[in-house]
Amino acid sequence: MRVNIMDQRGPGFRVLSEDQIEMIYSAALEVLERTGGRVFHDDALDLFRQSDAVVSDGNRVRIPASMVERALKDYPRKITLGGRDGRRTLHLEKDQVNFGTGSDCPFIYDRKTGERRRYTFNDVAEAARIADFLPNFDFFMSHGLVSDVPKPKTYDRHQFLAMVTNTTKPLILTSVDGEGLRDLYQMACLIRGGEEEFRVNPLFIIYIEPSSPLHHTREAVEKLLFSADKGIPAIYTPCPSAGATAPATIAGMLVQDLAETFLGLVLSNLRKPGMPLIIGGVQTIMDMMTSTYSYGAPELSLASAASTDISKWLGLPMFSTGGCSDSKAVDEQAAVEATFSLLAAFLSGASLIHDVGYLDSGLNGSLEMLVLCNEIIGMVKRFGKGVQVDEDHLALEVIDRVGPGGQFLSDDHTMEHFRKDFWLPNIMDRSNYEGWVAGGKKTLKERCEEKVQHILQTHQPVPIDEAVMTEMKKIIERAEKKAR
Amino acid sequence: MSELLGKMSELLIAGNIGEIRKVTQEALDWGVQAKDILEKGLLPGMDIVGQRFKACEMFIPEVIRSANTMHAAMDIISPLLSESDTGGIGTVVIGTVEGDLHDIGKNLVAMMLEGAGFKVVNLGTDVKPQGFVEAAKKHSPDILGMSALLTTTMPKMSETIKALQEAGIRDRIKIMAGGAPVTQDFVEEIGGDAYGSNAAAAVEEAKAFVEK
Repeated sequence: MRVNIMDQRGPGFRVLSEDQIEMIYSAALEVLERTGGRVFHDDALDLFRQSDAVVSDGNRVRIPASMVERALKDYPRKITLGGRDGRRTLHLEKDQVNFGTGSDCPFIYDRKTGERRRYTFNDVAEAARIADFLPNFDFFMSHGLVSDVPKPKTYDRHQFLAMVTNTTKPLILTSVDGEGLRDLYQMACLIRGGEEEFRVNPLFIIYIEPSSPLHHTREAVEKLLFSADKGIPAIYTPCPSAGATAPATIAGMLVQDLAETFLGLVLSNLRKPGMPLIIGGVQTIMDMMTSTYSYGAPELSLASAASTDISKWLGLPMFSTGGCSDSKAVDEQAAVEATFSLLAAFLSGASLIHDVGYLDSGLNGSLEMLVLCNEIIGMVKRFGKGVQVDEDHLALEVIDRVGPGGQFLSDDHTMEHFRKDFWLPNIMDRSNYEGWVAGGKKTLKERCEEKVQHILQTHQPVPIDEAVMTEMKKIIERAEKKAR
Repeated sequence: MSELLGKMSELLIAGNIGEIRKVTQEALDWGVQAKDILEKGLLPGMDIVGQRFKACEMFIPEVIRSANTMHAAMDIISPLLSESDTGGIGTVVIGTVEGDLHDIGKNLVAMMLEGAGFKVVNLGTDVKPQGFVEAAKKHSPDILGMSALLTTTMPKMSETIKALQEAGIRDRIKIMAGGAPVTQDFVEEIGGDAYGSNAAAAVEEAKAFVEK
């Protein structure tokens, strides 16, 4: 028997050495002591004033390194979420990768007319159904922004309803403000059966966005403090744009991003230690020709992979980005950019890879891209399984059984292995020329469109409980009355 | 009885060789005719296998397993079938042309033809034009199938057709050709009758000939 065998799974990808991580970490601590950040929330400023932090110039907060280091010890390395049906399917642990959509795209291409138009409640519901069906999606964000609501300030409640009724997968939500988050939380607790159940098996993660550089808005802080109070998992993530709202260097962007995240981390720790906190977010460059916040840039993938290395070193789950594109259409550019970022993000071992299915730099939530990316993720995951090397996989028995000049197609070993060891394509066309011609010479986009149609015609998610639905709608009605 | 035959179809699709032997024997013990076992149990099952393969729901190793399952049942019922029954829906002589040792694709076609109810005479690989002619004389097939994987051996297909013409039996037989480099145009150019771009397509073409 062999001893001391180490199995390698995947190529062991990382982009930062431990020394480089230390340098970036120290630099982020230096930013908090020297430059600090501005906080636009009175309760938060009071919390800082009562601590070792220094508040000057009204709302400028500087934080000693020791506060960050102490706070870091209080956060869980592992977060688990369950879907609407309670099944605990989303595991945020080191090198455990989960894929999902992005959130709040204003536009979609109408499937009938092909014209670009605003996202509706029904579009989000359809995106949710598709993500519910596709096996490589582990969580769902709204993909689109529900625009057909009576009052824009209540969009978040309607959006949540469209999402949660059409998929049983765990969710990541956005909200208008602290009030909005409170309503979403109450709606989720109705589904879960109370706050206690939500605490040990949360249904959603809340996405919170401070504003680079070094600004922490009232809304962002409201949401963070409410999440700390209730133990709602939160992503506190600035979206720095290298060259515009952050330094043009990737290391500089990572330093600033980390300093922004750490301010939130210290603040939530002052309020109530130990909330489930996730770092990361979209980290990319501003395109210097068009000023576009690029979702297809290789720098996005590099910065996100570096950030993931840092997150693992810190012991905090990472919210990374992939499967998105600057292209305006489901075309070659979209496929290239999505494949590149999905592979890089997957190999980096990020906990959550979001924005899968974005077109037009995050402005267009395409349903066809969801189908295409599901396929790409399948390929990427197969690659990540690595090469299994053991007695059965070395296959000496079968090599001998088949012998010189034989064939393996009809051997039991092939039968046993091909379905589990081969990735089986669904959208990718491997037919020969005649088969392709006979099938109508369909393009990748056409095949994706057909798949979208097929899913929407055939897949119905598990229905939500009627009584819970009624109660959730009451919360929305209350919000509608209150909103101006 | 129909329940047993239905079960045979299912076992065939699942490729359960051990179980099909038992159930085939059981059916015979119940007094089911061998001909009915073939036509109402096995062939409908293989028909579904062909359909599923075409719909990308079954894959090559599974199709082969089903074909082998059919063979296991055939071993039991063959001695009980009359001469006319074993002839199936038609006879195919098949082989890889001279100079070419590739036979996986050709064997797959042979297996699927058998599954569809054809009697198949498999000549193997490296078959000289004269080898095809002799086999055609001996077995009087409805269809003759040629395979080539190498572009360098493709001209042998044309030579084989010429040899059949010279022997005066070309017009009695439908000639099919296939293999990775072979195309519809090529088959027409050399004077063949049909081309199958994959095993399932080849079976469809063959069926079309005998149903005419």
